[in-house]
Amino acid sequence: MSKEKIQIEVNGKMVTLEVEPDDLLVDVLREDLGLTGTKVGCRAGECGSCSIILNGKVVTSCLIPAMKADGGKITTIEGLEKDGKLHPLQKAFVEKGAIQCGFCTPGMLLSAKNLLDQNPDPTLEEMKIAISGVLCRCTGYQKIIHAIHAASETIRKQGV
Amino acid sequence: MNQGMNLVWSKSLHWEKYYRPQSIPEALKLLEESGGHARIIAGGTDLIPQIRNKEKEPKVLVDITRLSGLNEIKLENGFIKMGALVTHSQVAESPLIRERALALSEGASRLGSPQIRNLGTVVGNVVSGQPGADTTIPLLALDARVKVVSQRGERIIPFTEFFIDTGITAVDSTREMVTEISFPPLLENETSISLRLARRKALALPILTVSVVLSANLKKKTFHYARIALGPVAPIPFRAKEAENRLASAPIEDGVIKEAAQKAAQESNPRTSLIRGSEEYRRAIVANLVERGIRKGIERLEGKHV
Repeated sequence: MSKEKIQIEVNGKMVTLEVEPDDLLVDVLREDLGLTGTKVGCRAGECGSCSIILNGKVVTSCLIPAMKADGGKITTIEGLEKDGKLHPLQKAFVEKGAIQCGFCTPGMLLSAKNLLDQNPDPTLEEMKIAISGVLCRCTGYQKIIHAIHAASETIRKQGV
Repeated sequence: MNQGMNLVWSKSLHWEKYYRPQSIPEALKLLEESGGHARIIAGGTDLIPQIRNKEKEPKVLVDITRLSGLNEIKLENGFIKMGALVTHSQVAESPLIRERALALSEGASRLGSPQIRNLGTVVGNVVSGQPGADTTIPLLALDARVKVVSQRGERIIPFTEFFIDTGITAVDSTREMVTEISFPPLLENETSISLRLARRKALALPILTVSVVLSANLKKKTFHYARIALGPVAPIPFRAKEAENRLASAPIEDGVIKEAAQKAAQESNPRTSLIRGSEEYRRAIVANLVERGIRKGIERLEGKHV
């Protein structure tokens, strides 16, 4: 099989990669770019651990052939901090105890970021829907909701 | 090594070629040249897991996401038309769909999860041919039709003739491509509703999905017509014709609604299933949700937001 060249913008940086036709985006991010914050859970789009933001929408990277993402703009969990400073959502997750084992956390944070980017003052129901694509098996969802709510207030007052 | 671990952690899926055509004729040519070994990929939310599970083993994937003009929802010549790249999120957020086909908006907004709705397409959901698919059922009630193209030409297939068996439709996905689904938008005296019963609100397959399209004259207290679609209660998406006939031109009365709901339960054919419950339970649920759908439909015609 011959490798193909793709170009993607990952966390603000343009990268050129050579991929196999049947490489999946999640593996390219983890193995080729070393961005292991994106987790592999079910590989069937059901657990949400591999969630990333692609062209402004949160999606499961285990269902996307790498070649399909060619030309796309991606944010992974590694792209959330700015100049060594955590994103308000990350801070809120730490402060509210919304992280236990941490496996779902990247997907939760990116789902929450995608929500707040589009809707800075979400209702409880909107927050629940936003994280409904990611499974957490440790803390439950209450603290995660509290953290998203707290972060939304911080962002509205102080910006990101 | 434990095989389950192997399945999850390793890539463990394979195809040889990945094409990204720039036009529909180019896509059709690539399909034809692959001699039955190619599949179209748009959202990939069904196809990638199917390849992983070896339910499908294409050697070639033809990515149609770069084709222009297929990602729009538009009102044209008296039809709402959705191109092959329209996602569930797009449908769920569309004011046109909400105003003129609320049942489809409801179906699309309950499918899978935000991630799946952002990736998956309505056309893909329909072409997968599952009997209880979240957008298929409302589209069946909305009297939708499918535009299919191949190198041999173009054909329009009504939903009532589109589904052949579970997972099998009138489209040969290795040679043909669905470019559009269209349906007539609902008028002033018409309304629609979708109801879904599932174990959870996200990432759970439906135990039952029901969509009802109603037309009625509230002043005269009579139904004009009804279209009732449901699934999964048979190998293919199901129209409850006897229930529809009971409502046609009938007075809007409790007894009539209950009878129609009973007829829907009798004419549907659910099997006892470990996931979805016993046949008896599923029939009871059909009657229940069909009745609720008709009642809520009437309330919507009265202008209530239910």
